[in-house]
Amino acid sequence: MTQQYLAGELSVLLGELQAAAPNQASARDLAGLRHQAETGPLNVLGAVTVRALALADDLCWDLLTRADAVGFTRQAALSAQLHVFGVCAGLLPEEK
Amino acid sequence: MTAESEGRGSEAQIAVHWREEGYYYPPAAFIGQANAADPAIYERFGEEHFPECFKEYADLLSWDSYWHTTLDTSNPPFWQWFAGGKLNACYNCVDRHLAGSANKAALIWVPEPEDTDPVAITYQELYRRVNEFAVLLRDFCGLRAGDRVTFHLPMVPELPVAMLACARLGVIHSQVFGGFSGTACGHRIADSGSRVLVTMDGYYRGGELVDHKVKADEAVAAARQEGTGIDKVLVWRRHPGRYASTTPMAEGRDFFVDELLGPYRGRAVAPVSMPAEAPLFLMYTSGTTGRPKGCQHSTGGYLAYVAGTSKYYQDIHPEDTYWCMADIGWITGHSYIVYGPLALGTTSVIYEGVPTYPDAGRPWRIAERLGVSIFHTSPTAIRMLRKVGPEEPKKYSYHFKHMTTVGEPIEPEVWRWYYEAAGKGQAVIVDTWWQTENGGFLGSTLPALMPMKPGSCGPGVLGIYPVIWDEDGNEAEAGSGKAGNICIRNPWPGTFQTIWGQPERYVQTYYDKYCKDKASTDWRDWPYFAGDGAVKAADGYFRILGRVDDVINVAGHRLGTKELESATLMVGEVAEAAAVPVMDEVRGRAVEMYVSLKPGFTPSQEIADKVRGAIETEIGKIARPRNVWIVADMPKTRSGKIMRRVIAAVSNFADVGDTTTLANPEIVEDIRHHVQAEKAAHGDVPRELTPEEVEELMAFGQAE
Repeated sequence: MTQQYLAGELSVLLGELQAAAPNQASARDLAGLRHQAETGPLNVLGAVTVRALALADDLCWDLLTRADAVGFTRQAALSAQLHVFGVCAGLLPEEK
Repeated sequence: MTAESEGRGSEAQIAVHWREEGYYYPPAAFIGQANAADPAIYERFGEEHFPECFKEYADLLSWDSYWHTTLDTSNPPFWQWFAGGKLNACYNCVDRHLAGSANKAALIWVPEPEDTDPVAITYQELYRRVNEFAVLLRDFCGLRAGDRVTFHLPMVPELPVAMLACARLGVIHSQVFGGFSGTACGHRIADSGSRVLVTMDGYYRGGELVDHKVKADEAVAAARQEGTGIDKVLVWRRHPGRYASTTPMAEGRDFFVDELLGPYRGRAVAPVSMPAEAPLFLMYTSGTTGRPKGCQHSTGGYLAYVAGTSKYYQDIHPEDTYWCMADIGWITGHSYIVYGPLALGTTSVIYEGVPTYPDAGRPWRIAERLGVSIFHTSPTAIRMLRKVGPEEPKKYSYHFKHMTTVGEPIEPEVWRWYYEAAGKGQAVIVDTWWQTENGGFLGSTLPALMPMKPGSCGPGVLGIYPVIWDEDGNEAEAGSGKAGNICIRNPWPGTFQTIWGQPERYVQTYYDKYCKDKASTDWRDWPYFAGDGAVKAADGYFRILGRVDDVINVAGHRLGTKELESATLMVGEVAEAAAVPVMDEVRGRAVEMYVSLKPGFTPSQEIADKVRGAIETEIGKIARPRNVWIVADMPKTRSGKIMRRVIAAVSNFADVGDTTTLANPEIVEDIRHHVQAEKAAHGDVPRELTPEEVEELMAFGQAE
């Protein structure tokens, strides 16, 4: 199937998460996931999405702990976009 | 996609997630105006008329000189279509429409900010812009026919202008999806051997002006690391006179196009008459070994195919306003935003931004404002629009006569929303199946002549003769319920010519599997292996099951590793999953699952039980893994691909083979020690493997 665009959309979302990452280590991790999405076969996209969401979750908690409301709001919004995309693209299970 | 509980246990029902649906029929008003409403078309494109049937598509184009051989098979599978013919793709998409449609909109560009009006670019204006840029590419950049140029452009009119300018000169363009990283762009620059990069300073996405120029510097650096130097970076400015990036322009390398264009304004260059088999563009896809695959598409065959399929399957008339919501960075955009619609002289809409910006009503407002009559998008976008704004379409008074869904299988309930809400119960839907490699549609209903069936793409399109074969080459008959590999028995004009710079990989990936005789020049001996699984219903409609995966045959049941792994990933603690086969004296093969956990979780029997439970629930008892191994990490290549054959070998006490290409070879010994010690302690040590079994394990994982 012409599913290449799923890799593209995931790459964009990961790039946005990477740009909003509060520290270099997490930015590097997200860059690594983005690289996997761009270069790997399509059936890694699900696992990449799961990993990215877990990372984004951790970052949200980290920002909350540091009382960075602006950072948290942005990170949470990006995570939500990634989650919606993941569900709609069939990369994540739909929560019932 | 969720599994329907429809009696698990049969081969096809494990593979297929939804049940058969009823038919929907096209309305009389659509049939009355359709381009293909006479059933005589079936006979014209019947196999007895192949390959000459495709003359009908080629005759939609203007040729400088006619071809002498419709299909040259002298060097299979490097097919040559319309051999001897000469034409220019840009002339076909622009120049030849000037006489009758100079002041008609060729493109309507919709900027993402909704307070900015759409911009209509007439065929006359498109002609002017394309020519100016073509002269710039020729004189300032020194580009000639056969040279490659990489674009890294967002959804702006400058992209089709640049594509057509290259086509005018016979320069091969390679557009990298604008959302990809600069590094990804750099790898493609290097692979294609481009010396010029065309980009933009910024574009709008989700309400923000994104700095895009920064990626150009990353791209140039990444290409240089691979030994390819970029001579010039041409930067279009999103807002004329204003630079949207904080990245400085590199003197002597980076140039603003609007500043360069001055001397070229009003100038024109004659379209270069190109052989039909000259490459028109490269389109890269994700590779399986890390090196991207550049699908090389021809000029004559490709353009004929997208023009023909646009006419009959998109039902494009010159008076339509056609909106494909894909990105031009993907093959859908090349074929069905630019080349196909413009070859037919219609109006094609390009939207810059996110479909749901600023809200879920945006696409329908665009459709209403522009009078869009034909709409084309992906199931993911449809699901998104349905999820965030199911009632939005009814608020707007647009009318689609025709809609397309492309890219993935679409589940019937989503299809029905698309039909009833987005299409208002009036538009016909074509559910199309094809790939980057194919140039245009391979599977679809003819919209006026065939009923729609939610979840099925329909039969092979005109001139395409599909077949479903199992791993041994046995045909899965229509209505048998058996799933297999969908292949195309014949070449077609839109098919790609090769993988750029990798002809052996082209043959190996797409033709080796079912080739009957490598010495033969008969096209019948060279069926095309699409790599997708499918099942054919009794009515001849195909249901596509997604990418062919490695299959583990447990007691005659074909279990796809993707499905096993997808089920496993539903367990919250699991980060990665890999399913491998293990020899089983009773069942032939059994499944073993390897999982790694997310940070913060420790291995436990509880997690292993959850994995077993998830697989049983999602797929069935037959799929229950014999063992679940929780490992610290999976052996992976440098591109992140899990090396399943290595862990399959561990599970079977076989030689793991070459591990030098792994990014983490040290993990193999850890896994081996853990798994084999456990098995030995439970007396689970298999007998010596047969040579065939060893070969099977070594090949495992190569389907992806």
